[in-house]
Amino acid sequence: MSKLNKIARKSTWVDMTAFVDVSFLILTFFMLATKFKPPEVIKIDNPKSVSSDKVDDKDVFKVSFDNEGRVFISFSSDKEGKAKAQTTAEVLSRQKGLGLTPAEISTFIKFSVGGIGVPVEKLKSFLALSDEEYKRYKQEGIPVADTLNNQLDSYINALLTGTGGRKPANVMLNGDNGTKYPYFKNVLAAFKKNGIFSFKLITSLEGVPSGTPLYKKQNTPAK
Amino acid sequence: MAAIEEGGGSHKKGPGVKKQTRKDARVDMTPMVDLGFLLITFFIFTTTINSPKAFKLNIPDDSAKDEEQTEAKASGAFTVLLSKDNNVFYYEGQLASDGSNFKSSNFKEIRAEIMKKKANTPEKDLVVIIKPDETSVYKNVVDMLDEMQIADIKRYAVVDIFPGEVELIKATQGSAPPAGK
Repeated sequence: MSKLNKIARKSTWVDMTAFVDVSFLILTFFMLATKFKPPEVIKIDNPKSVSSDKVDDKDVFKVSFDNEGRVFISFSSDKEGKAKAQTTAEVLSRQKGLGLTPAEISTFIKFSVGGIGVPVEKLKSFLALSDEEYKRYKQEGIPVADTLNNQLDSYINALLTGTGGRKPANVMLNGDNGTKYPYFKNVLAAFKKNGIFSFKLITSLEGVPSGTPLYKKQNTPAK
Repeated sequence: MAAIEEGGGSHKKGPGVKKQTRKDARVDMTPMVDLGFLLITFFIFTTTINSPKAFKLNIPDDSAKDEEQTEAKASGAFTVLLSKDNNVFYYEGQLASDGSNFKSSNFKEIRAEIMKKKANTPEKDLVVIIKPDETSVYKNVVDMLDEMQIADIKRYAVVDIFPGEVELIKATQGSAPPAGK
């Protein structure tokens, strides 16, 4: 046999270190970048829009309404939001004579992250629920249908009275695709009555159709 | 390298010294890679990619005095009516008493109509009036506001519907085009 036929036998062992390095790098990235969805009591399917503004999560006062027309309020879980939830509960308790105890007010703050949607008169019994019961409890929503008894107005009024008229930095409306327009109108009416005229609707992103003025505006290089 | 080479040279051992069996220090990393990618997959799937976006909306103050109210020129007005099952109706200018300029459309075609109106009207006169009726849904309103963004309409308003228009919608709805979108 000639020497040419002799093939050096190489080991099949592959060095995986680099592979492991990369995979764990990606893993670390995803672990840090992941933001778990907060537990939602309300199921809402947002409409789409071309707007691409980011949603702020600091100092948020959010009004949500689902497709049955149930209206909820919620505050963000940061310091500002908690402070606002607290003053709202305190003022509301005073204005409506609910007599909420400090313990109930702290429950209000806790529940307000997930959403509170009960009529004012039922608030006290609602705040007696435990965390588990809260998740299972079907809230009936804050009544808004009746213009004379628009209770969302009471909640917003309590909030603004508590902060001395200072509006939360981010007033948001989180509406469901299927909500009938009158509910939306009534929610707007409650805001108007309290002098809040500017808010953000929460939507999910949709591409801008090509050829439209907005598309042209966005894609024209700035001179 | 993952493998750590043990002791380099082959130094001579004295007599009677036992020869140690040299083990390979390489570690099989395959299970670790498996686990790593499993976790990556998990995190990829649980991450919410499309985070919600904010759509800014400013509404007018109803209590504003009359003289502060902006007067809409009839010729520049374009009224869009929203109704159930994603039906869209529109008319230009003022509604004719016999309802002859009252047309039905849908969410796909209305964009072209708005663009046409925009092209034919001086910009300062153009105002789009959105009138959702009781049976329309929130999605319709947001979609329509979105159309305003897409068509780059500067002035638009969401206004309550008139009873006369509700009647017209009811009358037309029988022959309304199949709901698009």
